[in-house]
Amino acid sequence: MTKLYLFVRRYLAVMMMFGAASAFAQQSVSGKVTSSDDGSAIPGVNILEKGTSNGTVTDADGNYTISVGANATLVFSFVGYAPQEVAVGAQTSLNVTLQSDVTALSEVVVVGYGTQDKKEITSSVATLSTKDFNVGNINDPTQLLQGKVAGLSIYNRGGDPNSSAVIRLRGISTVGSNVQPLVVIDGVLGASLDNVDPNDIESINVLKDGSAAAIYGSRGSSGVILVTTKRGSGKGGLSIDYNGYVAAASVANSIPVMTASQYVAAGGNNLGSVTDWQKEVTRTGVSNVHNISIAGGSQQTQFRISSNFRNVNGVLKKSGFDQINTRASLTHTALNDKLRVDVNMSFTNRNSNFSFNEALRYAVLFNPTAPVRFNTGDYYQAILFDNFNPVAILEQNVNEGKRKNLNYNAKVDYTVIDNLTVTVNYGQQFESVLNGEYYSRNSLFRGLNRGGLARRYTSDRSFTLFEGYATYSKKFDKIDLSATAGYSYQEDQFEDIFLSLGNFPNDQLGYNALENSGDILSGNPNLLGISSSKSPINKIIATFARVNLTYDNAIFFNASVRREGSTKLGANNRYGVFPAAGLGVDLNKYLQIDRVDNLKIRIGYGVTGSLPTDSGVAQDLYTYSNQGGGSITRQRAGNPNLRWEEKAETNVGIDFGLWGKLSGSLDVYTRSVKDFVSLVPTQVAQVGAPFQFQNAGSLKTDGIELNLTYASLQFGQVRWTPGIVLSSYKSTLESIVGASTQVRANLGAPGQNSTNQIRVAVGEEIGQIWGPVFAGVNTDGTPKFADLNGDGTIKAAPGDALLAGADFKKLGNGIPTMEIGWRNQVNYKNWDMNVFFRAAFGHSLVNNFRAFYEPIDLGAINSYNRVITNKAVAGLTSAQYSSLYVESADFLRLDNMQIGYTVKGNPNSMFKNIRFYISGQNLFTITSYSGIDPEPVLQDPGAVDNGGFASTTSDVLAPGIDRRNNYFTARTYTFGLSIGL
Amino acid sequence: MKHILKYTLVSALIVGGGACTNLDEELKGDFANNAPLQNPGVGVKNNVNKATPNDGLSGAFSRVLNGTANHGSYFSVQEISSDEAVITQKGGDWFDGGIWLSMHKHQFSSTVGGINGAWNDTYTGIFQCNELLANASITAANKAQLRFLRAYFYWRLLDVFGRVKLAVSSSDVPQSDRPTVYAFVESELLAALPDLPAGKAEYGRANKSAANALLSRLYLNANIYKGTAPDNADYDKAIAAADEVINSGLYSLSPEYKDVFSPANVENVEHIFVAPFDEVTGSGMNIAQMTLHYPSQLTYKLAQQPWNGYSTMEEFYNSYDAADKRKAANFIAGPQKDVNGNPILDLAFDKGDTDGPEINYTPAINMLAPNGSRQAGARLGKFSFKLGQNPEMDNDFPLLRYAEVLLNKAEALCRKNGYGDATAATLVNQVRTRAGVGALTPLTAGTLLAERGRELFIESLRRTDLIRFGAWGNAWWEKTAHADAYKILMPIPQEQINATSGLGANKLTQNPGY
Repeated sequence: MTKLYLFVRRYLAVMMMFGAASAFAQQSVSGKVTSSDDGSAIPGVNILEKGTSNGTVTDADGNYTISVGANATLVFSFVGYAPQEVAVGAQTSLNVTLQSDVTALSEVVVVGYGTQDKKEITSSVATLSTKDFNVGNINDPTQLLQGKVAGLSIYNRGGDPNSSAVIRLRGISTVGSNVQPLVVIDGVLGASLDNVDPNDIESINVLKDGSAAAIYGSRGSSGVILVTTKRGSGKGGLSIDYNGYVAAASVANSIPVMTASQYVAAGGNNLGSVTDWQKEVTRTGVSNVHNISIAGGSQQTQFRISSNFRNVNGVLKKSGFDQINTRASLTHTALNDKLRVDVNMSFTNRNSNFSFNEALRYAVLFNPTAPVRFNTGDYYQAILFDNFNPVAILEQNVNEGKRKNLNYNAKVDYTVIDNLTVTVNYGQQFESVLNGEYYSRNSLFRGLNRGGLARRYTSDRSFTLFEGYATYSKKFDKIDLSATAGYSYQEDQFEDIFLSLGNFPNDQLGYNALENSGDILSGNPNLLGISSSKSPINKIIATFARVNLTYDNAIFFNASVRREGSTKLGANNRYGVFPAAGLGVDLNKYLQIDRVDNLKIRIGYGVTGSLPTDSGVAQDLYTYSNQGGGSITRQRAGNPNLRWEEKAETNVGIDFGLWGKLSGSLDVYTRSVKDFVSLVPTQVAQVGAPFQFQNAGSLKTDGIELNLTYASLQFGQVRWTPGIVLSSYKSTLESIVGASTQVRANLGAPGQNSTNQIRVAVGEEIGQIWGPVFAGVNTDGTPKFADLNGDGTIKAAPGDALLAGADFKKLGNGIPTMEIGWRNQVNYKNWDMNVFFRAAFGHSLVNNFRAFYEPIDLGAINSYNRVITNKAVAGLTSAQYSSLYVESADFLRLDNMQIGYTVKGNPNSMFKNIRFYISGQNLFTITSYSGIDPEPVLQDPGAVDNGGFASTTSDVLAPGIDRRNNYFTARTYTFGLSIGL
Repeated sequence: MKHILKYTLVSALIVGGGACTNLDEELKGDFANNAPLQNPGVGVKNNVNKATPNDGLSGAFSRVLNGTANHGSYFSVQEISSDEAVITQKGGDWFDGGIWLSMHKHQFSSTVGGINGAWNDTYTGIFQCNELLANASITAANKAQLRFLRAYFYWRLLDVFGRVKLAVSSSDVPQSDRPTVYAFVESELLAALPDLPAGKAEYGRANKSAANALLSRLYLNANIYKGTAPDNADYDKAIAAADEVINSGLYSLSPEYKDVFSPANVENVEHIFVAPFDEVTGSGMNIAQMTLHYPSQLTYKLAQQPWNGYSTMEEFYNSYDAADKRKAANFIAGPQKDVNGNPILDLAFDKGDTDGPEINYTPAINMLAPNGSRQAGARLGKFSFKLGQNPEMDNDFPLLRYAEVLLNKAEALCRKNGYGDATAATLVNQVRTRAGVGALTPLTAGTLLAERGRELFIESLRRTDLIRFGAWGNAWWEKTAHADAYKILMPIPQEQINATSGLGANKLTQNPGY
């Protein structure tokens, strides 16, 4: 790379000399460029004589000299500052102060169905653009944001390249439905982040509170993420950009287990070998990512086309994916700029190797004295419960899939008369998935007992959006009025097919020839897994209106209402109304406080909804069963009264800028969710099933968020810009139908079924880890528990959790009380460095590996290796859930660190800029947690054992469970290169 | 141009908007309420064992498959609380929150999943009966079938929980006391009798003998269910009902005891009413999985690894004479071999196990918890396993069978006339002769209870028998004696109490004592 760098430097220098020589020099101008923030010199500022190719850059001290023609105008531009044009006239000395746009109030923010000036915003909106994003091996748009937005929790534990992050905005907003935020890409709501490459994203806005999200109605409860993709510019010419990186990921942290000799000493069977199973199944995963974009256009027509190639490999052997994404956008204006057409298209083709996360689990458990293979070449296997050779799992079997996403939309704006614009937006989105698994006839893991097992899955999802709205804007004296009204129609449909068949003559054809399955002859439905489904056409129909009023350019008011109906709800309650209002006042305009640059208070209130994920929840459902000879029976009684789940939220915020340096915002909110939809136990005799979907209860969340940026601390030529986001919230269950106290999150087999780790109770906080308190060891090696209620008897068996007099208590909280992101930008000449720390405090995790495999259990030591931590208790030989396995998981992590060097070219020369960077992700973590990763676990997928298949749904009321199937956390180093032509 | 554009936009709005106002949800992949509630008859032909009749009643009758022979429901509650089966804690395995250890020690808890499972499985059956009975055009014969079946489900609830809701439609009702539930079961059986077939029932269905056999069981337990002193009138009714079965001429004892329970036991001459398990069309029997140790997979070439859970207790195992054919039929004990006759190994054997890794199912068990030996305990082999066994077994489970009717009559005679009753002795010895053992002497309450235990092992009747004979509170292995009369009922599941908490008069209340 050094060679290329040198080459580029030389080439650039030549280009610049050529540019300078060709200019007809008449007048020399020199001066210094400083920052409005602190008066410090800015090196590297681009200076261009307008209308020519003549230009230069400031030196390390901010000084420049340039020869210009008569009547020249100079354009000064630098990243992070507003560009400035200055007429030279007769001056020979010209000093310029550039205005920093860090605290600029003129920023335009994308909101629902339009844009607003940032100062007009009355709700809590976070805006991030390219410069704010995380850098490194970023394969998912959500990774760009992790830790950067106060109140937005993004956790992708471990970093399995094929799993997506769990996202929560301001905590749990609903219990059973769309808990992930609504995503809007270039105005298409309900769009999928799977089909937008992180490289193509220009900015991301997060609508945090109800008053902003209410315009999106029933799908806005979990917040709204607005993504704007990059577009071509109308400045003429063609620009070509290349971004690429190579990343190497290695295991950052593995589970500490006994070595072979420790294991034998503890009583384990000595099988004569020494194997580090965790090493056997992991690797350094090298990934390559390349992005090329071409953009350009004229005043009337702008376009951008980009392609992204990703070859991503995870730390678990075989895990990774290959992906090609292509995005094209076109904007055309016509009819004297009255008509504007935007067209976007994007296509993603992804081939994944999911590999087997189970291999990581069994690598922890497997006997460290067992050989990987016998001398015969056969894998070592023992017929024991929940015990599989992890190398054999990976090498004998296949688990892969393909996904294709396509979406397009066309948006037409037409200015009918002055002040009135009509917009129509039509978009479609498609996703198809085709997965295949094959388990070898020799694979003890899922294959052997079935004579080979093939599983195929395919699904197809389509989504159509049609929206039309009109916006009217007018200025009356001191009042600016803007009103929007419109209509929205959305429909989606999902269908899938699943096949699972076994008994193949050999493994040669894998899952490619299902007709060879011997199971077909059996006609046995317990062997033949065959199913298909098709959802109803789920529709959402809405009308909406919004008014924005600005008085005196200092008092801002807006109100909106949306009436929305959905097919998913009970026939009696299909429509809901979602109102919102907000008020903001620019206090500084009236108070004019000394050294205060900006002081604005905001208050907003809004109602949003949430829809059930499933279809048919309000209707009677009947199922056909072959059991007993075939019959159709009522499976579940419908609930025709099922109504909207509603979230009402009040947000009070203050935005401030002090001393030209410190800027930030503070938000306090309270949100109450009522009528959340959940499966509720009912009387079988009346309903036909023990559960029914009902509007089951209410939740309340209170929280606070702080965002601070200190603009530029200057140390000589080093500029340091620190910033911090801080958030804290607490959710309480206000009411629930039926069981007012519940326990959830079963620990699982071996031996710990009917052992729940989480308590959910009315009037109590969500996320309580619940259990008996460990108080020592009995002589037989079983744990002793504390008599918490002092009644003289100890009732601490996990099955007793709900009984009166049970000795159980809250052992921790699965949800952090405080989440912090601390960003630091450091600039020195052409160097830049970003150091980003992330921390979470107040949460605990139940370390499931320890809960099963830490006590040296004489019965199980021969089946499973032991986890060794400094938290182990001597003499304890019986694994039984208690406070012993609940650990505080506070952590501070150096999440992302990046050092970059930018070579700036003459804007009119061939190279606009070249940039190199190296970055590291997850560089170190300070924590006392003994498991792999102290990051919060916000929802629980449940227990899986003995090669069973994991559930595809997760319990959002059960945070804090560190299950045994988690992917190992990776540490990643990236080297990247960007070239702008 | 301007106008064209304007019109295009406006008409797009109108077309787009106008077409999309209907919000009715049309299910595409699930049957909604327009599905006919009947048996379409598909799937009948492929039944490996025997076709169940295409009478439209399968939706209800197939519900007897749930909870009858799987883990975590009626079977587990009836068996683990009794002295004939146990799940020990095997180190890190099978502790499961201590719920099965507590149940063994008669510390019953309303929050145990198995108790709720028993409730839900049974009421699901009742719900399906009620759904079909709500059809006005149902034939008298089918109505009688369903009323019998619903009475059978209510008998289970009467026996286990006592105080339950007598729902006969989807409208809610208040909880009834136990005598009322008893009276309901009796009256329903009597009402169903006339329209039930006199001859053999179709496969998986009921006939008059089924109703009579259940009545004999009901009357024999009448004083327990009614909470009154024993009444000879009830014993007379029990004898009369049993006689109806015996004199029907439809049934006799199977020459071989083991054939009654084997995978090929379809329409065994002793079966009166069965849960027609079938690996294809009647899933729900998992005893092989529940009882066998992991490596026993190699003995039977099981399609899936078993779970090493249930075994019997030494005392119960030893209650059989060595010559008793039922001993060999009911248990799997001793060293275990694979299909080729080689010993099977537990590579994770306990270091203290004198048998080493070679698996030997010893009737003696070292302890209940925490480190019960992984290989200890004779296993439940009565519903025998076939080679290549799937987790779903083929053996039909007799819910009512002839030998029980004989023993019911014998016991009613003894309770009425004293244990010297000659007819009673003949009936008991009929059963014993088939088992290859001599006459039972002396015939006493204790020996009769033990004989019923040997004959009816794991047919989910042991708990009921122990209660009737007053032996429920006795001490047995790893269980101390108690005199808690309330424990003859299981607690109403807490989940059910919660589900009815807002229902006023229809609220469920907990059984006294819990």
